[in-house]
Parts: sequence; structure tokens; C-alpha cells
Amino acid sequence: MEVKPELTELSEWVVRLGLKLGADEVAAISNHSVARQVRFANNQVTITNTWDEVEVSILLKKAGRVLVSSTTDISKEALEDAVRNLVKAANVVKRHESYAPLPEGPFQYGEVPGIYDGEVARLGEEAVDYVEAAVNAALEAGARRVAGTLTSMESASSLATSKNVSASIRRTAMSLMVRGLADGEASGMGVTCGTTLRDFHPEEAGRDAGRLAGMSTKVAPVEAGKHATVLGRPAAAVFFDILAGMSSAFHVDSGVSCLVGKLGRKVASEALSVYDDPRRPGGLGSTPFDDEGYPTRRTPIIEGGVLRNYLHNSLTAKRHGVRSTANAGWIAPHAWNVVVSEGEIADDELVEEVKDGLFVNNMTYVRFQDYRSGDFSTIIRDGVFRIKNGEIVGAVRGLRLSDNVLHMLEGVNALSREARQVSHWWMEWGSPSVWTPLVLIREVNYTKPTK
Amino acid sequence: MEELVDLAIKVAIEAGADYAEARFQSNVSRFYLVRNGNPEAVGETKRAGIGVRVLVGGAMGFASINKPDADLVRERVRDAVSMARASSRLLKEPIRFSEEEAPEDSYAVKPKIPAEDVPMEEKMELLMDVDRRVASPREVGVSVPQRLFQLSEKVEEKYYANSEGARIRSTVPRVYFTGFLTAHEGGAGTEQESIEKGESRGWEAVREWNLVDYVAERATTLGRILREAEKPPKGKVDVVLGSLVVGLMVHESAGHPYEADRIFGREAAQAGESFLTVDMLGRRIGAEVVSVADDPTIPNSYGYYLYDDEGVKARRRLLIKNGVINEFLHNRETAARMGVRSNASARAEFFDREPIIRMANTFMLPGDHTLEELLEGVKLGVYIRTFGEWNIDDRRYNMRFVGTESYLIKNGELGGFVRRPVLEITTPGFYGSIDAVGRELRFEAATCGKGDPVQGVPVWHGGPDVRVRGVEVWR
Repeated sequence: MEVKPELTELSEWVVRLGLKLGADEVAAISNHSVARQVRFANNQVTITNTWDEVEVSILLKKAGRVLVSSTTDISKEALEDAVRNLVKAANVVKRHESYAPLPEGPFQYGEVPGIYDGEVARLGEEAVDYVEAAVNAALEAGARRVAGTLTSMESASSLATSKNVSASIRRTAMSLMVRGLADGEASGMGVTCGTTLRDFHPEEAGRDAGRLAGMSTKVAPVEAGKHATVLGRPAAAVFFDILAGMSSAFHVDSGVSCLVGKLGRKVASEALSVYDDPRRPGGLGSTPFDDEGYPTRRTPIIEGGVLRNYLHNSLTAKRHGVRSTANAGWIAPHAWNVVVSEGEIADDELVEEVKDGLFVNNMTYVRFQDYRSGDFSTIIRDGVFRIKNGEIVGAVRGLRLSDNVLHMLEGVNALSREARQVSHWWMEWGSPSVWTPLVLIREVNYTKPTK
Repeated sequence: MEELVDLAIKVAIEAGADYAEARFQSNVSRFYLVRNGNPEAVGETKRAGIGVRVLVGGAMGFASINKPDADLVRERVRDAVSMARASSRLLKEPIRFSEEEAPEDSYAVKPKIPAEDVPMEEKMELLMDVDRRVASPREVGVSVPQRLFQLSEKVEEKYYANSEGARIRSTVPRVYFTGFLTAHEGGAGTEQESIEKGESRGWEAVREWNLVDYVAERATTLGRILREAEKPPKGKVDVVLGSLVVGLMVHESAGHPYEADRIFGREAAQAGESFLTVDMLGRRIGAEVVSVADDPTIPNSYGYYLYDDEGVKARRRLLIKNGVINEFLHNRETAARMGVRSNASARAEFFDREPIIRMANTFMLPGDHTLEELLEGVKLGVYIRTFGEWNIDDRRYNMRFVGTESYLIKNGELGGFVRRPVLEITTPGFYGSIDAVGRELRFEAATCGKGDPVQGVPVWHGGPDVRVRGVEVWR
């Protein structure tokens, strides 16, 4: 799929229309995507999905008012209605207190390599072959039942603004999440994702899911309390997705963050750095420009344990008196690719460091009692094990991880040396991808039900 | 678009599908967002298009498009059929649908005051009034430095048709409010609370919510918790749970595990499965006083519908009857597997999503106790009226709820606030320990997430206050 001239013309037409109808500034993004998905459970396909969708999103600013719209009805009449509605709304709502104009272009964006693969774009019924390979690998490795989702997507997107920005991107993406189930509560999970077929390893993901499920059948008793913990990549991805979400200035200002008031302060162990890297080759969230047209750049969130930046768009940057970090989101800034620093040792060696502790492969259903303090709990699953003298001795059941984001950040002792890209269903804060190694945390608190 | 819906079914059958259904669905939503006294944004989203689902040799395919283009409809429907056919080689157990009637019907919720007729100024001013009141420590007795309020008005229109002859048209308007408050008191830290209101009605519902007073009362309560709350008692005590807590608990531990697609493992990779198995129907799960229902047909409810997205007429489902597992939530696929009729639980969030089994309005049926009577029998305990943190494992067996507005109960009397009591309990442990059920039924709105891609559908959950005997409370 090329970025068709019609897509660019559509965005530019919306911008011209907005100005004609009285807006001060307009931005429009036209997006066309074709995606396929194969869902499977109990070792067989449950449904195949094909989505073909065009959507136009519009940002309109007038006299300090900020208005947004998105529509899948892209007829000129419907778009004209949408823009008229926004102009009408601008005449009645109050002025945004930290109003900031769109950035003045044109900009040089440069290329982000490795985010399009024609083979992914052309993928059709072969997707079922990949699912079959993953299911068979999981069954051979120890699972009895296998479930999951394979999704492939090709998209083209065109941004135009009234400030001399006209930019386009086309990309592809593939992701596969495999969950293996052995008996009863024994489960494991494997993930593979990327922008090209080269990055996509369905058999490996299946093997991981099956191996962890098989290992989960033998149970080792563990009491609630504090335990040294190795977070597997799916769990670490959930944790750092939350951290990236909490670094969005929108969430900081809304009180949905434990990073409020902590800029420039130590919030994590010195061993830990976390970046947003929108130009990472092969990143599911990689993009040369943000939704306002700023060229993207790598932004440190935490460096050597110190909170360096919140993520900003123009509006939040104005409120905080800083420059945008090119993370728009017109309303809420967000991360593109979250990248966690790597350590020195291999995955196995990191587990061997633990005398007595737990390995937690995946975290799900994270919920907060108090976002400001960072108190939360989460369901751990898909490979939760007791480690004794550096070796996994059995599976752990019935525990819940109940701790605090800042406490866990401070407790990071070591990271393994290979960060891999992870994207899965339980990353609920919206980062497109997290690149993470295994993470060893000195002490994590666990609880369990009493009746 | 109706002619394209009919075309899609025709093309699917011609391409070899044994069954086809198509749904035109339009979701239009306008929202107003105020944060910390600032009008952050006003916006509108419109999602409209056609979703087509087919059965081919027992394999299921789905395709969606949003361009009203007959050639594209033909291309994507044939895609859905060929993808389903390709996937059938991994099929060990072909998908069948239960036999159902093929109704032709239409229904529409008629708001007294259509939200779109209310001036935008009034909507923004309402949110600004809510914010002004809460932002004033003089008014609410505490500093609330962070405040986020959003009001949405939505209209959902559908035209559903299938190859068996069903034709259903519907229009449902909804109004929805969310608020998020952070109260702060020097030395005591912060307390936060989410507030949700939602109904399938017009602006008249928003006026009845009395948002300015309601949100201010919540802020005042958070302030009192910060200033007054003491540690909750530790160890085994009796707990009275407020109806809002009960509502969420039955949603999580009686709604989700009774979804038959979870029981059969279809959602295993994402939301999870269920601790229930098919052979547990008829088995006791709780005390005699416990009955739980799910009912899409409650007028004005946020989860309201009269036909599901497989064209099956909706009815009340009694999930737990006097403590016994009574009925699961079914679509046509799971109903056929169990040899029963569908109870109309299939819903899709948008045109481009497959219909899957969802709750609508899930609630514990009321009993005959007043709150005072529930408290009377408690020597030492906790009354948890609202919650903050909660979660439950993916088999819906091991759950945790942390109280926000919570009180000590001593010798049958309500005492002062206690801070953040933690109840961590199994599902049978909860339902088996209830010995008395209140008589006043209340509901709360929510958006329930499930499926891949995740679909958030409007629901109510509710219940009366209940008394739970002899459970451990953490602090």
C-alpha cells in the first residue's frame, strides 16, 4: 500500500476547509489500514477477521479553543459537517488556559528504517500457517491447549496542518500472543512482534508458551510476603507501559501518576534507564513525526534512576513551560516505543543471581488504589515460579503481587542484557511497544486470599 | 447502507458460506472534557460501517468496511469466506449455531430531552460548575488539586440482518459521565475516587444525576477520610458491603465466569477462562439468600438492548438462583454446544468488531434487610461502601477489593471512617459467607472490556448491601 495521493489530498482538503470556515489552525490525519487477525483457542481457529478502514481525525483551534473530531464517514458532506460542528463548538466553549499554537513547518523528518515490509502487507491465508506452527510448537513443548491471536496490518497515514506540515508514513506490523495451558491453572505465554517478517518468530513464541505451561504443573508452596523477583518480559512490558503512561504530562496533571512533582529527582535504582525512542528501527510505534507535525526524537524518561522528562505535546509543554517532546496525541501525549536499558548478563544468569525468590512471567489486571502514591495490585500468571539457589523449583499459585510502582522502581537490582520488543493485550496504558530485558527487583510484596 | 448489508449476505452465500449475517452500525459520540477548571477539549467521534460474519464448513470469518462501496463489500466478504475456509483445516470441532427464530422488528429509545437539543454552553457550564464547587476547599472541606470530568452523549444505530431472514433495526441514545478526584491533606497524603454515571436516556437523566451536589459530596467524603480515618481492625471480622461494591463483585465473579465462551476457553489468551465447568450447572456456589441476574431489558439501563447482535430476543438471565449455579450467558455458538437456546448475550462495540458474549446489567437480587438490620448483627466489623483498587484472576476465583469510603462497625453501630481495608477472598468464599441481603437495589454504570481487539461495552452492575460473615480483612 503506497500512501496514495488521495489520502494526502483528503487531509489537505480538510485543513483548507477548516480555515475557510473560520478556524485559526487546523490539523488533519487521514489513515487507511487493512488488517487481518486469526484468533485461536483449544488448538483451533475460532475466527478470522479482516478489517479495511479509512478514518479522518481533525484538530481545530479557534480563538484559544481546542476541538477534535474523528470519523469513519469520509464523504465530503460528512467531513464538512464535522468541521462545521467544531467551528460552532469553538464559538461557545471557553478558552484553553494553556493554549499553544501548532508548530510552524515545514520540518525535515528523515527516514525511520525498517517499519515497512511488503511481505507482511501481502500476508493472507498464510497467517493460518503461522498459527499452526505456533500451536504445534506449544503442544510439543508441554501445553495441552493453546490459545492466542495473530494480527498483521498494513497502514498508510497522512498528516497535514495549516502550519506548512505535510507528512506521510506507511508501515506494517505483526504480532502474535500465544498462551499455553497444561492442567487447570498451569499456563505459559509467549510473544513475538515486529514490523517485518524477519522479526516474527511464531514457533519460538509457541515454544515459550508451551514450555512455561508444562513447567507450571509442578507446584512449590510459597507464603505471601516479600520476595526477590525476576520479571519476565511480558510482565516487565506491562510495568514499563504503566511507567510511560504515568510520564505523560496529561496524566501527571490529572493526578493519574506517581511521578507528580518528581522531575529531576531520583525515582528508581541507578541501574535503570527508560527512554521513549520513536525512531527505533522495527518499532511498532516508530514514527518520524508526531500528530502535531513535530519531528520525533529520543526522550529520556528515567536516566540512571533520575526522572528526566515528562512526555509532552504543545499544550502540556506550554503549561509546564518547556518544549514539546514530540509525543502528541492532540489531547494527551503518549510514548511511541518504550525502551528499557539493558544490563550485562544473560537471562539465565539473572535467574541464577536469586537465592530465594520468584519468577513472574506476566502481570495482568493492574489496578491502583492511589495513582499518586503508586499503590497497586496485579494478577500474576503464565509462568510464576519459585526460585531457590538460582534454579526454578516449581510453580507458584494463588499469590497476588501487591506493591508500589516507586518501591519497585527503587528496587531494580539488575537487568539482563537483551531487550526484546513486546506488545500484548494486557498493556492497558497504550504504549505501542516496550523493549525490555528481564528485570530483577530486590523485594516485591505478595498477598493471597484468606477464605 | 441497508442495501449493502443485504448485498453482503447475498455475496457471502454465493461465495459458499453456510450462514451469513451483516450489521450496519453507527456510533456517534460527542464529549466535553474539563480538567482542573480548564476546558481541555470538545470533540465528536463517528464510527459507522458494515461488519459481516460468515460460517463456512464450521469455520467463522468476519470482515468489516466503512466505505459505502459495493465492489469493496464484495471483495471483503469474499475475503472473509476464503479466510474462514483456509482456517477450517485447523478445525477439530466445527462451529454450529443454535436454532433460533428469525424475527423482523425494530425498537428505539425515545429520550424526553434529546442531548443534541441541549445547547453546548449548558453542557460545558455544567462541568465547569461541578469543577468550581469541588475546587473550593470552603465548599467541600478539602483541597482537591486534581479534577477530571468528562460528559459524553452517544447515539447507537443498528440494522442487523442474517441469511435466515432476521431483520432488526434499533436506535439507543446514551449519556455518560466520568469524574476522577484527587483529594489531598497535608500529612495524610491523597485519596482518589472514580465516579461514573450512565443511562440509555436523554439529557433528562443528566439533570436527575444532580452532578454538582453528588460530586461535591464525594469530595467532602474523601476529605473526611483523610482527616478522620483510622486503621481498620485486623483479622477475622464481619463485613457489610455497600451496593456499589456488591455490584462490581457480582460483575467480576458471577458475570464473567458465567460467560460460556470463557467456560469453553475461547477467551483464554486474553481476558481468561472460568473456574466453572459445564457440569457445575445445578451445583451450590453460595448461600440460599444469594441470587444474581443479568438483564438487558431494564428500561433506561446503560446496558440496555432488546435484541442482541445475533438477532436473538433479549431476556433476563438468572445466573445464580438461591445460591445454586442456574444459567450461563450464551451466544448461538455456545448454546449449540450445550444443546440449549441462546439467551441473547452477543454484543459488538462497533461495526468492525465480532459479536461476543457480554453482560448487560448484572446485579444481586435484593432481600429484605435494611442497612440498620445488617449492621445490628455485627459485633466487630467493617462497612465498605465504595472501593478503589480491585482485581480478580483470569479464572474469576481469587479477588481483591480495597475500600475507599469505609467505616468501623462496633456492637451493631456504625463508627468512624477506617482507611483502605483490604478484602482478599475467593469467589465461593464470598458467596458462601453472605448471610443477609439488603432490600434496596442500586446500580452503577461502567464500561466492560473483553475480546481482542478489546471491546468496551456499556453495562450496569448493581445490588443491595450485603453482610458477609467471618472474613479476614487486611490493612
